[in-house]
Amino acid sequence: MTTPRRTWLGPLASVAPLLIVLAAWQLASAAGALPKAVLPALTDVAKALAALIGSGEIFPHTLASLARAGIGLAVAVVVGIALGIAMARMRVVRLAFEPFLLLIYPVPKPALIPLFMIWLGIGDFSKIAVIALGCLLPVVTAAFNGARSVDEVLLWSARARGVSERRLLWRVVLPATLPQIATGVRTALAISIIILVSSEFLSSQEGLGYLISSYGGVGADDSMLAVVIYLAAIGYALDRLYLAALRRFMSWHAFAH
Amino acid sequence: MRYGAGANAVTALERIDLSVDRNEFVTIVGPSGCGKSTLLYLVGGFLAPSAGELLFEGAPIRGPGPERGIVFQRYSLFPWLTVAGNIAFGLEERGMRAAERERVVAEHIRLVHLEGFADRYPRELSGGMQQRVAIAQTLACQPAVLLMDEPFGALDAQTRRILQDELRRIWRRDTKTVLFVTHDVEEAVALGTRIVVMAARPGRIKEIATRDFEVREGEELEANPAFVALKLRIWRSVKEEVDAARSAGIPL
Amino acid sequence: MRSRTEPSQGEPSRAAGALARYLPIGVLLLAWELVTRLGWVNPFVFPPVSEILLRWIALIGDGSMFTPLKDTLWRALTGLAGAIAVGVPLGILMGRQRWAEWFFEPLFSFAFPLPKIALIPLFVQWFGLFDLSKVMLIFTDCLFPLVVFSYHGAKGVSPIYVWSAQARGASRWRVLRRVVLPMALASVYDGVLVAVVVALLVAVVTEMVSGGSGLGQTMIRAYRYGDVRTAFATLLTISLIGAALYRVAQALRGRFLSWHVGEA
Repeated sequence: MTTPRRTWLGPLASVAPLLIVLAAWQLASAAGALPKAVLPALTDVAKALAALIGSGEIFPHTLASLARAGIGLAVAVVVGIALGIAMARMRVVRLAFEPFLLLIYPVPKPALIPLFMIWLGIGDFSKIAVIALGCLLPVVTAAFNGARSVDEVLLWSARARGVSERRLLWRVVLPATLPQIATGVRTALAISIIILVSSEFLSSQEGLGYLISSYGGVGADDSMLAVVIYLAAIGYALDRLYLAALRRFMSWHAFAH
Repeated sequence: MRYGAGANAVTALERIDLSVDRNEFVTIVGPSGCGKSTLLYLVGGFLAPSAGELLFEGAPIRGPGPERGIVFQRYSLFPWLTVAGNIAFGLEERGMRAAERERVVAEHIRLVHLEGFADRYPRELSGGMQQRVAIAQTLACQPAVLLMDEPFGALDAQTRRILQDELRRIWRRDTKTVLFVTHDVEEAVALGTRIVVMAARPGRIKEIATRDFEVREGEELEANPAFVALKLRIWRSVKEEVDAARSAGIPL
Repeated sequence: MRSRTEPSQGEPSRAAGALARYLPIGVLLLAWELVTRLGWVNPFVFPPVSEILLRWIALIGDGSMFTPLKDTLWRALTGLAGAIAVGVPLGILMGRQRWAEWFFEPLFSFAFPLPKIALIPLFVQWFGLFDLSKVMLIFTDCLFPLVVFSYHGAKGVSPIYVWSAQARGASRWRVLRRVVLPMALASVYDGVLVAVVVALLVAVVTEMVSGGSGLGQTMIRAYRYGDVRTAFATLLTISLIGAALYRVAQALRGRFLSWHVGEA
């Protein structure tokens, strides 16, 4: 009942189900069971993807999307960590910012996209801003909760070795909170992509969301699906890279997975 | 050095009048809830008394400081620092130069017999090893007084015995003043030159015993009649308190 | 005795506690009102709070908020219900059966980072511009947290409980129903809480993007016609509904999990 089975397939085991699904897709299309109008054949989608990559057409769009999401996320992470920790350790800061966060919390951030576009124009800035806002909350919450629950013993141990209150934040509270912040940032990463795509659907001239929406609009399904799969792969890769970076830079932490 | 402290709103401690002299090893033992850890935290400066005064070398205690180092029972190592990093922590705060720091860190790693583990993270260490680091990191700051809050309480019996011997060895080498809190009567008698028995609810000092015989290195304490007698006496004293609390219907 | 490091906390009365919570928000709203009235912010972008509230009351009053609200709500709940019906059993299956775990876990893992919203054009093609495509997307999006949480919940049931039941003669099916399911329920419900939020979010976004009816569509249309007050009023409704749904789900949790160790 408890025989470990993963060892003999290793990482291949996780790819296998995916390959099975893809194979089934291709077979169904080839057999005519899956009409082109419903879903193009896998081979067609693959060809479209190869064309997009080969011609280099997809790269400026990729860059535009990643840049928007990346900058928004980065801003949210820096501000969120600082704000969350400050709120946890200083009452004044908490009093000042909590109402704003509480107000924003129940609002679905993609619903704010039109507002931001009216306010900041339809260009990149409004997209980056709404992404930053959407990513801010999970990071602030994680930093706040983490900083609040730092084990008292660690703080006392530091004080008993001569750490001043000011340096305590930087030398003890921040590192102790990192594991929780890391989880918050991972959530924010997923949110950034969601808001990115939503905003690109609503209004943009370039970006992966724009490609999906415009290909879909003219019925170029194989290209549209090619970009969707491409986007999925990017999202997956980013998540894995993030986890790998965490394991590398936070090797001191015992990760659950 | 003199310490005298007072009560608080919940009356965790009442009418404590205790003086500790230089280089004494004072153990504090008592049932749960007798406030022994509270007393230690007061001395450490983490809590402020609601009445009375705490004096360290004649001056009032105003907060935590490196002259009163503390070793907690667990979770006192910074998980993001290596063994060496944790030991060096207090030294960095003082602005010690890197070369000097390395020397002190190496010396203290040797002191607690953790050679070869300098670059490990706390999560890679056993409970006993973590406590060795906790002791090393506090001693590295050269405190005048060493406060210990049931430091071996979370360890298994064998490890506890080993670390007790180590602690005694270290104390003999660099004699310091130690205030050691424990719930284990045997540990209290084996380590302390003076044993303070506390009673619970409200926390107060019940009696103070002196160990007037030496404990030799590697000695089999169970075979020492003086030790057994003292241990029995202290044990009975503590048991009285536990029984009294039970009959008063207070769950322990 | 006070801790030297924490500020001393008094014990406020309940009324004072509620006031302390909402007063800062009230102050913030007041500031918003003032800032827009003073013209420091463009009132075309940020109308004064008072005007938003008045418009909101008006829209509720004349019933014009009702239809979009109904549409959005029933889409979200239908999609959610479907996702629960499919996702929870699937997740539990994955948690208890090796083969199901082997097959499905990588699939969900891979698809997880993809915003399902990217599939809107595809779903519109398959299911049309109106209700079905939206509900299907809500279903798809809600599926993920429900499967993941149910999976981890079912997987994490301590074998001791299972063995204890088996040693008393319980069949596989009984073990599943009477041991695994209740133990996994806490995690499953966490998934439900996440899914509730997702359901409303996706409903609104699909309405914003692919039109039809609903609160998302109402809001976009209001912006298109420059009617910012209505847009904000709709946003307010969306937020209130979202918060209400979540509160209801949280409250029901206590009912389902009253026996649970940890929290109700």
